[in-house]
Amino acid sequence: MTAPLDVEPSALDADPDAAISAESAKAVEGRSLRQIAWMRLKRDKVALGGGVVIVLLILTAVFAPVLVSLLGTPPDVPHGNLIDQTFQIPKGSFGGISTKHILGVDPTFGRDLFARIVYGARISLLTAFLATFVTVLIGTVLGITAGYFGGWVDGLISRVMDILLAFPLLLFAIGIGAVIVVTDRPILGLTGTSLSVAALIFIIGFFQWPYIGRIVRGQTLTLREKEFVDAARSLGASNRHIIFKQLLPNLMAPILVYSTLIIPTNILFEAALSFLGVGVRPPTPSWGQMLSDAVSTYQIDPTYMVVPGVALFLTVMSFNLLGDGLRDALDPRAGR
Amino acid sequence: MGRFIIRRLLGVVVLLFIVSIMTFAVFFMAPKVAHANVARNFCGRVCDDEAVKQVSIKLGLDKPLYEQYGAYLKGIFVGRDYRLGSDVTHCGAPCLGYSFKTDQSVAFLVKDRLPVTASMAIGAAVIWLVSGVSVGIISALKRGSIFDRTAMGVALAGVSLPVYFTALVALSIFSYKLKILVNVHYVGFTDNPLEWAKNLLLPWICLAFLYSATYARLTRANMLETMGEDYIRTARAKGLPEKTVIRKHGFRAALTPIVTIFGLDLGGLLGGAVLTETVFNFRGLGYEAYAAIATQDLPVILGITLFAAFFIIMANLLVDVAYAYVDPRVRYS
Amino acid sequence: MSRSYLRTGAIAAAVLALGATAACSGSSSGGSTGGATTKSAAYNAALDGIVNASDKKGGTLNYVASGDFDSLDPARTYYAYSWNYQRIYQRTLLMFKATPGNDGAQVTGDLAKGLGTFSSDGLTVTYELRDGITFQDGTPITSADIKYALERSFAEDVINGGPGATYLKPVLVGGESYKGPYKDKAGLASIDASDPKKIVFHLSKKFSDFNYLMALPISTPVPQAADQGKNGGANYQFHVVSSGPYKVETYQPGKLLTLVRNTAWKQSSDPNRKALPDKIVLTEGLDPADMDQRMLAGSADLEVEGTGVQPTAVATILRDPSTKKNSDNPSTGFTRYISIQEKVPPLDNVNCRQAVQYAADKVALQGARGGPIAGGDIAGQMLPPTLPAYKKFTQYDSGSDNTGDLQKAKDALKACGKPNGFSTKIATTNKGKGPKVAIALQAALKRVGINAQVVQVDASTYYSGFIGVPSNVHKQGLGLAVAGWGPDFPTEYGFFESIVDGRAIKQAGGNSNYSEFNNPKVNDLIDQALATTDVSKRNDLWGQVDHLVMEGADYLPFVADKALDYRNPRLTNVYISKAFGMYDYVNIGVGS
Repeated sequence: MTAPLDVEPSALDADPDAAISAESAKAVEGRSLRQIAWMRLKRDKVALGGGVVIVLLILTAVFAPVLVSLLGTPPDVPHGNLIDQTFQIPKGSFGGISTKHILGVDPTFGRDLFARIVYGARISLLTAFLATFVTVLIGTVLGITAGYFGGWVDGLISRVMDILLAFPLLLFAIGIGAVIVVTDRPILGLTGTSLSVAALIFIIGFFQWPYIGRIVRGQTLTLREKEFVDAARSLGASNRHIIFKQLLPNLMAPILVYSTLIIPTNILFEAALSFLGVGVRPPTPSWGQMLSDAVSTYQIDPTYMVVPGVALFLTVMSFNLLGDGLRDALDPRAGR
Repeated sequence: MGRFIIRRLLGVVVLLFIVSIMTFAVFFMAPKVAHANVARNFCGRVCDDEAVKQVSIKLGLDKPLYEQYGAYLKGIFVGRDYRLGSDVTHCGAPCLGYSFKTDQSVAFLVKDRLPVTASMAIGAAVIWLVSGVSVGIISALKRGSIFDRTAMGVALAGVSLPVYFTALVALSIFSYKLKILVNVHYVGFTDNPLEWAKNLLLPWICLAFLYSATYARLTRANMLETMGEDYIRTARAKGLPEKTVIRKHGFRAALTPIVTIFGLDLGGLLGGAVLTETVFNFRGLGYEAYAAIATQDLPVILGITLFAAFFIIMANLLVDVAYAYVDPRVRYS
Repeated sequence: MSRSYLRTGAIAAAVLALGATAACSGSSSGGSTGGATTKSAAYNAALDGIVNASDKKGGTLNYVASGDFDSLDPARTYYAYSWNYQRIYQRTLLMFKATPGNDGAQVTGDLAKGLGTFSSDGLTVTYELRDGITFQDGTPITSADIKYALERSFAEDVINGGPGATYLKPVLVGGESYKGPYKDKAGLASIDASDPKKIVFHLSKKFSDFNYLMALPISTPVPQAADQGKNGGANYQFHVVSSGPYKVETYQPGKLLTLVRNTAWKQSSDPNRKALPDKIVLTEGLDPADMDQRMLAGSADLEVEGTGVQPTAVATILRDPSTKKNSDNPSTGFTRYISIQEKVPPLDNVNCRQAVQYAADKVALQGARGGPIAGGDIAGQMLPPTLPAYKKFTQYDSGSDNTGDLQKAKDALKACGKPNGFSTKIATTNKGKGPKVAIALQAALKRVGINAQVVQVDASTYYSGFIGVPSNVHKQGLGLAVAGWGPDFPTEYGFFESIVDGRAIKQAGGNSNYSEFNNPKVNDLIDQALATTDVSKRNDLWGQVDHLVMEGADYLPFVADKALDYRNPRLTNVYISKAFGMYDYVNIGVGS
């Protein structure tokens, strides 16, 4: 069925149930998929909870310096007096929790753990978001190209995807990360922590685009055969118009869903690389690196292991909850 | 069907070639980017220029990159000669070379470490497949119940936890506090099957927890989707008992995508579960690859990466063949 | 967990005397209990006495390790614990005495009847071999076997990783051009093995430390026939032939090393070893925390790498007196220090270097190494307290609480023209305690405005390829480097030579004088000390070296390294070897 011009074409045409509800909705007031999805999402309390946590996390990361000056001490300032020198763990129970250090301090150095967690959030979120952006960008562009143009273009891109998917991803990430960690010459004008972060974004983003590329390609292939594309073409629309105005909007839903599902994976990926020592280098705080440090002392200072672990857990879980909620909200057939 | 398989097998060979070239490029060029002389890592602590040069010759690093790659390929297909002392040693095909660090045969190393990774991966895979799928099915059938909600909650947690954190917590509780499973280290199956299983329990559970969460969610979603399909409605309308409807029609459709992913996951895991192996100190392929990368022990890196890629590619192939068997359209694309 | 990279030292050309003192150390009389105190189990009892002395034979020892030997081939091994372990089953021309206390740092005859006899011009050294020395198959060991063993270390394109060639090249006539027995069938003429019971060395220069060289694994005899074919050369490490009381039954690299009795070994030819246990099993590749747990539970006997227990076990051991009495806190003989590279601006100005010295927080640095027990005592000078010439002093006072004297640091900064501080880099390895030390230093220096960026590199590259290549140091601006040093042999020369002698700087790579310190007065004092036979005069000279080195401000020592080691109470004859800074493995047995 044709959609009114001021409402975006949707994927609802495939489902009679949804079409009927859209018809009845039209009778009252035209609602776009976006509005319907938002309504559904609002009703999903759990997903909303996840969303709220994410917003809080982002705010925490953005306003890290302010938070730390209010609630803790700078993340790289050591407090030797808070450490038991013989055992090199924080004095006091629960890793040295006090009013001055609300999450305690880290072993050996006595740096404020709250501050390190907050700054670690920056690294986690920044790397994950940017890497996801890179993945989605490359994946969408190449996926659409392959699906729409077909032929040898599709063949080439599909082969490249196959090759990249065949790589043992973690090993390659470690290999490249290990080199970057060692390199001290500026690459593209970046050094030190920014180079590490840029390299992480590249590694995590680059090797994963085939996952989304495949999905976008598949969807493009399906959509390409739909009537509205034929109609647009017969009206003389250029490829560019078709791709940007017809296909892309219909791909937004799956792209969005997969983005929210890839972000938590990327958060865990960065943490894993940092855990293995090929992520950001100290003293930049990173949750994964804290867990790696905790391995030798977790039996006598369990707090230092639990805090970053829980931080990772809550972050990833929130994204998963939101992602699930988004998927349910955008999928017209689910959740009844 | 046969032609399809042959075509795909050729594709596998080409893929492996390309992976080997890219691996070679990355791991042999990487030290150059860092302006490091790899031979220095293996000539001892006090090593003058002459010694480095000699070691460089021993490891073949003095030759240009394409020559090194050519020699490596030749080794795989035909075999290779090495000067390891007074005589020339012939390394028969497929020759994966010798570790720069220990002079051990890489082929031997892979053969020796594979059982560790395989034990961990396959054992965990069986557990996660069975537990994940059954939980997913039950959740789907009892949708909205307490079981469903709890199971999915736990599954969500499982997917959100990094495996090394789970492992550390598990070790902390079971190995150190409760002392039920102490001294976790790898014991070969042929040495002592009971010990083998006992020591693998914790790694299995940690790995399985992570994956079964995914599988439970996936199975549930697929089951729900499948059970909402028209043909299920038709089957019910025909008067078939619910159990038969589920068994004969529901499962097949719901589980096919699971099988796909299972193949890919297992293949990927066989490539080396670096994180789990590192935390539990199980010296499998992943652990060795990680150690080799740190010291730039190139033959080992190359050997294990190729093996890992091989597993992944073969898993892909098997899944594709299965699909082609089921869906004839795929054969002709 | 850091592995003890061996005290290394390339022995440069030197003049006399150290060897002379060692030569006075007298006999190779039987048993390690000769003159040594025996003790019962108590904290630190093994430092200067033998715990659980016993001659009871039999039983199986269960040793554990987390890593693997760098090689079982005596010509290719460089780790301290590997050298120590080899003494169990391999015999060398000379060996470090198997006795506790300072005597353990002396050498005595093993395959040789005694120390070498030097000719009057010091250019010829002769050793007489004992009777009854055999390989594990009963073949008598002759001087030709020792000659061959030394020759093969020259084949650096096959036998790589060991220190042999580096030591022998500058010392033996024709050493510089000899390429090893695989290529050069004629052999090295300066090693004379014409008399099977005598081995004579012709030196290209006076070198009185030669006895110490012969106490290293490089003089372990290797039968030429065993070094051929596919089991020889680079593969000999998997098929080593033993000369001592035990032989290799199984070797699975990285997993297992089992030693069983060598029935061809004769006690009458070996007054140094008791050979008590029937079997010695070393399980490798274990998790460090796992090893500690086993030792404390009694299912493992000893952790052989000698680097001490993990933080968790430190806490367990120190808090429980019944466990504490089974532990020792030896000095390992290492000094942990920060090398301040004087060729990297602005550290080329001595005042800027002094600013770093004063600003350093020694308590934090000690903490990074593990604290006073697991890490070591705070040091103010380079020479470790284990060496005879040590006389305690502190060059750069770090304030009353040792956390640094910020005022003096700021004054020094003003004096070098950088009142607001400057930027530089700290190089370190990427695992173990190195990164922690770098972070501690970074935080301390920040207090006076010195901004140091931490650069991490894998240990396999760090020493020989990263900070050991002066041009790389300059190019990358590695002003500060985390370093540690222990002597190859327990002498002041063995400690200082490679790291402070300006003539030992290797521009091409493998340099151990990271800061490129070159003070002609120090170089001269080193020569003088080597030429002095009078012990107190010599100690005085080395003391002056210690002072001058510290005045140059290139070296920032912060810890005299220690480790907390644990011994299973069922073991007998346990004591710390002064030569290796860890338990001596030679005579350990199994009790009831």
